[in-house]
Amino acid sequence: MSYLRMLGVFLRVSIMGEMAYRVNFFVQLFQSLLELGTAIAGLAVIFSYTDSLGGWRPDEVLALVGVYILVGGMIGFAIQPGMSLLIESVRDGMLDFTLVKPVDAQVMISVQQVEIWKLIDIVLGLAVLGVALARLGEHVGGGQAAAFVAMLLAGAVIIYSFWLVLATLSFWFVRVENILEIFNSMYQAGRWPISLYPGWLRFILSFIVPVAFAVTVPAEALTGRLTAGTLLGAVALAVVLFVGSRLFWLIGLRRYSGTSA
Amino acid sequence: MTSPAIHIQGLRKTYVVSEREAGVKATLQSLVHRNTEEVPAVDGISFDLEPGEVVGFLGPNGAGKTTTLKCLSGLLHPTAGEVTVLGYHPWKRGKAFLRQITLVMGQRNQLVWDIPPLDSFELNRAIYRIPLSDYRRMLDELTELLDLGPLLRKPVRNLSLGERMKCEIAAALLHRPQVVFLDEPTIGLDVTMQRRIRSFIAEYNRRFGATVLLTSHYMADVVALCRRVVVIHHGRLLFDGELSRLVQDFTAHKTIVVQLEDTRANLRSYGDVISQDEGQYTLRVPKADTARITGRLLADLPVIDLLVEDPPIEEVIEVVFAQELR
Amino acid sequence: MSDLAALYLQQFKTTFASMLQYRASLVIWMIGHVLEPLVYLIVWSTVSVSVGGAVGGYSTQQFAGYFIVLMLVNHVTFAWIMWEYEYRIREGTLSAALLKPVHPIHADIADNVSSKLITLPLMLLIAGGLATLFHPQLAPQWWAMVAAVPALFLAFLVRFLVEWCLAQAAFWTTRVTAVNQVYFVLLLFLSGQIAPLTLFPHAIQVAAAFLPFRWMIGFPVELLLGRLSLTETLVGLGAQAVWVVVCYFLLKVVWNAGVRIYTAVGA
Repeated sequence: MSYLRMLGVFLRVSIMGEMAYRVNFFVQLFQSLLELGTAIAGLAVIFSYTDSLGGWRPDEVLALVGVYILVGGMIGFAIQPGMSLLIESVRDGMLDFTLVKPVDAQVMISVQQVEIWKLIDIVLGLAVLGVALARLGEHVGGGQAAAFVAMLLAGAVIIYSFWLVLATLSFWFVRVENILEIFNSMYQAGRWPISLYPGWLRFILSFIVPVAFAVTVPAEALTGRLTAGTLLGAVALAVVLFVGSRLFWLIGLRRYSGTSA
Repeated sequence: MTSPAIHIQGLRKTYVVSEREAGVKATLQSLVHRNTEEVPAVDGISFDLEPGEVVGFLGPNGAGKTTTLKCLSGLLHPTAGEVTVLGYHPWKRGKAFLRQITLVMGQRNQLVWDIPPLDSFELNRAIYRIPLSDYRRMLDELTELLDLGPLLRKPVRNLSLGERMKCEIAAALLHRPQVVFLDEPTIGLDVTMQRRIRSFIAEYNRRFGATVLLTSHYMADVVALCRRVVVIHHGRLLFDGELSRLVQDFTAHKTIVVQLEDTRANLRSYGDVISQDEGQYTLRVPKADTARITGRLLADLPVIDLLVEDPPIEEVIEVVFAQELR
Repeated sequence: MSDLAALYLQQFKTTFASMLQYRASLVIWMIGHVLEPLVYLIVWSTVSVSVGGAVGGYSTQQFAGYFIVLMLVNHVTFAWIMWEYEYRIREGTLSAALLKPVHPIHADIADNVSSKLITLPLMLLIAGGLATLFHPQLAPQWWAMVAAVPALFLAFLVRFLVEWCLAQAAFWTTRVTAVNQVYFVLLLFLSGQIAPLTLFPHAIQVAAAFLPFRWMIGFPVELLLGRLSLTETLVGLGAQAVWVVVCYFLLKVVWNAGVRIYTAVGA
């Protein structure tokens, strides 16, 4: 599978490139720990006044925070760099070089860049998750763990497709660098269980900017709240969005080669 | 009679540009309606390249060179006309087609910045699926031809512009493409490096029989490499033929730029006055007469400054254009 | 002085024209500014309802009032200048500003205010919408409404000056994101963005009183909610004024030091 080999080389290239800037490891570590501290402090304030938030116990919300950081790390590691690069390549014309290569342009540009130090967030998120689950004292069964991984993957596909759609808009609108920030500014809502939010906000966070599928749904899987309906819905949405975003990308490409000079 | 490597027939490419005037009122108007205009970048050109030819593609900025190149490499879909490269329609962007071409653009980096070129080469090996033995052999040849030895393991950001360009070109040729598109490959390089790259391209063409289409601003690139040139201006072909014929016109004249105190002197007796601005006069004179006319100018007039140079390429185009009209 | 006014007017026009170009950025900024207080509104309302209707002196409706007003105050006082300076120094466009005979802060203030002239109507609309959904409860005294004008103005000044000084960190480090993050965390907890300051332990409240953050956001919000006495209001306005003066001097020091570094390195 030569695409896998290409991915491997890109990964190696990214790692090697970043190794020259080892300071970035410490900076990212600092920022991630600060972010974690902020989240925990926030939890501390809230739970000093209550011991249940919309039915979620403190350690369950902590698990949610763990998933939040983990998924944030996944996005920062693999999805954001590629999509930012895509937008930039459309703007400065470097996309031409990708298009002249005998590989699928979407695949290549998606894997071309990774943000190595965001692995710290992935590790940190898993650690927080581990701590939260341990404190909950519940044993996560095989079924729940499998559901969690499945929902994590579905969430990742959904987010990737969403970001791809946003990035593809750069074929039509030039000043679109900030558009990826839409997700980031709404992502913060994922730090709390979306069952708290009124219906209209839940809808927006599920189907317009899919934060819920990124964070809450996998967390629900771990805390035994996941319904079969949500699970199947997440998988279905992942498939639909993946195909849809690919089609949109191809349309965008056609426009790029039609009107750019 | 072998079929041409590159076949272009009646190629047209127009693109749509939106315009807006300054001012608050126009800004608000533009929210509702955008003024668009159709601009023809390439307006009906035809030419063929036989396998193994090295052809120079000349023209000033905005003439349509890059647009044509992009149509040939599949980056742009032609508005009208027929284009085939190695028998493929480029705009279909088939993998088999893309594996046989390469595009190098001057001053554009494809190499990954922070790592040695060798690792970027590995990337291309994976992308083009080059068998290991072919890759190693090609790498050795390119290293020898371009003197890459000491450069391969230094991070790209530590290389000079010329060294970077050599590595960019090498990276683009690892997969032994049969058709090579070079867009201003020597731009911004010092004279020595320009010469190096030119001799490399010539050697590459000799060794591997690749078809090369080279666009450039510099006549020197074309003189060194191309027997045949195609000249394009305002999206139309002005000239397609042996370089020697074009060179004849080109080197038939020289330009003398004279600075005088007198802003209204009449210098027509010395040569064609191309322009006259605040005491600076630009004359075109036959090459053979350059020394004589320069002497006369210096003797007859209180010259503040005088400069003799080759006519710029824009002027050559104008000359060719004028000739074609005749 | 009329030159300064002309500068501000011209900056307004320029910002207006470019804002319409960058419509997407406007919307994105505003999403964050609406969503964050909205999330905390919902979270605290949930807590309040689950413990019987009030937390730390705030009823559910009063939380709604607090966060909706906070949303507006935050929008009025916010700045993005701490991101701009990193860009300017990196791209070298700062040099152009240094050549002008006017201190660059004026253009920055003008740009900030003129952007908000465009976004504020929309924010008010959204606030109205949220009010119909969440039934906020506010009870400002008549004099609180009057005092709110200088309070907001001073809050804007304090916040802008502090954040402008923060922006100068770009002269010393490229890790501007990390520096800004520290600032935003402090702001989140100590200005009242995450929760009314009275909900925090006493020690934190004392600290907050001596730092500028409360005076940027929390104070005008509490004032508009009618939760401050006249004395507290006057003391607050005084604290704001003091911070403006402190920041003014801090700004001069930081700016001169920064310019010295910038011009030494080669603009």
